[in-house]
Amino acid sequence: MADLKSNIAFLQEACKNPRARLDYYLKQGKKVVGCFPVYTPEELIHASDMIPMGLWGGQTQLKLAKSYLPPFACPIMQSNMELGLSGAYQGLSAVIIPVLCDTFRCMTQNWRFGVPSIPMIPIVYPQNRKSPASVDYLISEYENVLTMLTTITGKMMNEKALAETIAIYNEHNAVMREFAKVANDHLDIVTPQVRHTVMKSAFFYEKSEHTAIVREIVEELKKLPAYPFTGKKVILTGITCEPDELLNIFTENHMAVVGDDLAQEMRQYRTDTPEKGGGGLKRLALQWNSRHGCSLIYEEGKPRGKMLVNLCKENGAGGVVTCMMKFCDPEEYDQPYFEADLREAGYPYLTIEIDQQNTSYEQIRTRIQTFSEMI
Amino acid sequence: MYTFGIDIGSTSSKAVILKDGKEIIAHQVISLGTGTIGPKEAKEQVFKEASISPEEISYTIVTGYGRMKCDYADEQISELSCHAKGIHYLLPTVRTVIDIGGQDAKALRIDDKGRLIQFQMNDKCAAGTGRFLDVMAKILNVDINDLGPLSEKSNHPASISNTCTVFAESEVISKLSSDIPLEDIAAGIHESVAKRVAGMALRIGKTPDVAMSGGVALNIGVVHAMEREMECPVLVHPLCQSAGAIGAAILAWEKFTKEKVR
Repeated sequence: MADLKSNIAFLQEACKNPRARLDYYLKQGKKVVGCFPVYTPEELIHASDMIPMGLWGGQTQLKLAKSYLPPFACPIMQSNMELGLSGAYQGLSAVIIPVLCDTFRCMTQNWRFGVPSIPMIPIVYPQNRKSPASVDYLISEYENVLTMLTTITGKMMNEKALAETIAIYNEHNAVMREFAKVANDHLDIVTPQVRHTVMKSAFFYEKSEHTAIVREIVEELKKLPAYPFTGKKVILTGITCEPDELLNIFTENHMAVVGDDLAQEMRQYRTDTPEKGGGGLKRLALQWNSRHGCSLIYEEGKPRGKMLVNLCKENGAGGVVTCMMKFCDPEEYDQPYFEADLREAGYPYLTIEIDQQNTSYEQIRTRIQTFSEMI
Repeated sequence: MYTFGIDIGSTSSKAVILKDGKEIIAHQVISLGTGTIGPKEAKEQVFKEASISPEEISYTIVTGYGRMKCDYADEQISELSCHAKGIHYLLPTVRTVIDIGGQDAKALRIDDKGRLIQFQMNDKCAAGTGRFLDVMAKILNVDINDLGPLSEKSNHPASISNTCTVFAESEVISKLSSDIPLEDIAAGIHESVAKRVAGMALRIGKTPDVAMSGGVALNIGVVHAMEREMECPVLVHPLCQSAGAIGAAILAWEKFTKEKVR
């Protein structure tokens, strides 16, 4: 069992160098499948005895991707395309692209044409989730993914393995939720950057391995006395909040992240796959139907604002920081709705733009500092 | 008791010395910003004007774009909080502040105590900032201080893009070559800035009274264009450019007296 500091350092290293994690699994003779964000059915890969690995872009100079995407496309998709074209993802057996917005739609074709060495498997999620047919439809999509995975990798999945995988993923969800809760008593150690590291690193580990590390972190934190944090507490919402240079601005201004609704972080962990209700594929489809408060999923009533208000109340946060992914239409459409709810509840909010290719943080620094002074 | 506020902007440095948190005993504006001798000169001149020494200052707060570079201040505070405080001191009835600085524009909503409630800042773009006006004045070969009075002579403002300084620059050149009068181009430039900033300001709501702060508020052409876009009177105080430094000096007094009570 590693100590707290070492475990956090392992996870930081994984986030800094995901390629090393890919090479580690390849050396073990494992096949690795890349998972574009968000809600990619990692369970199907895991249950087929392969490693799902998250592809969330990175800080890279865009050159090759410009032939495939306009400058106003999602920065994550731009850098994923660049990394794919430049060979950084070589070694992956395939990638899965969930079609959740317009940019994803064209990414499937861009990838197929631009990176033929890594086969692409698309999956389209149903948005009319009220219809019972949505479950049948999603099961058929999962079956297509499995067929393509088997054709490409030769790996087959069985129902028993899927049931075990679902249990592993639900356990991981529970550990991540517990970490988020326990972290709030140790905001001296779990800075915004450390919190993000623990969350993001899950994409670069086999899930039970990650569960074991995070569980150790949680246990070590529980042994320590609660830290009386006197700074300002905030909730983050959006797709992602990175890189570290940005997160460290929160720390510089004595701010802590005490909860989040980020697609890359807690948004994915708040909905478990039901333990009952049918076979594994059906249960995964039911999990999709239970997801809520996400800009990428159609939902009547727009519950995100009220959810953010509750997150603030439950965690003693003084306001919400919207991490607006540059050129992200679904998030921009959601923003006026949840901001209205926050306004009504009396919680201040701040918007910062997230761009992976950003190299200057002065303006964001002023915004975050002002928000800290304001709340 | 004296407190010192210094606002190190991108294009100018403003310094204020305040007595007992109420009375401005000296203020200086130097048209050189961060990374130049501007901040040093502003400090030296303001102390000379006040006839006191830096040792007599109880607390110093630095603000503005260059706030991180100042090593003698007791504390640094963002320019938005300082402008809110400064404008409240100068114009107590104001609830909406439009601050156009050298390289950014901000809209602030403040309460009856001068506290910031909500704010908006421009994106990483020079359009709608003082820099935009600098570039345009250079192309027109007009001193930046004359741009406002010049535009007031116009009856037919030219249409200038408000989306990009580079595109607007080529538009202005094209209008110059079409012999459109300078005053109409100048008025068009001011309308362009006003449209851009008013669009941002209206996102936080228009709570009267509305005021402008920052150096661009000294440009009467922009103020009038802003009144048309905001559809309300826009107040401007003669010390509008020093609002950030005044706010810093007031916050310095508040911080010092609070510390003393503790």
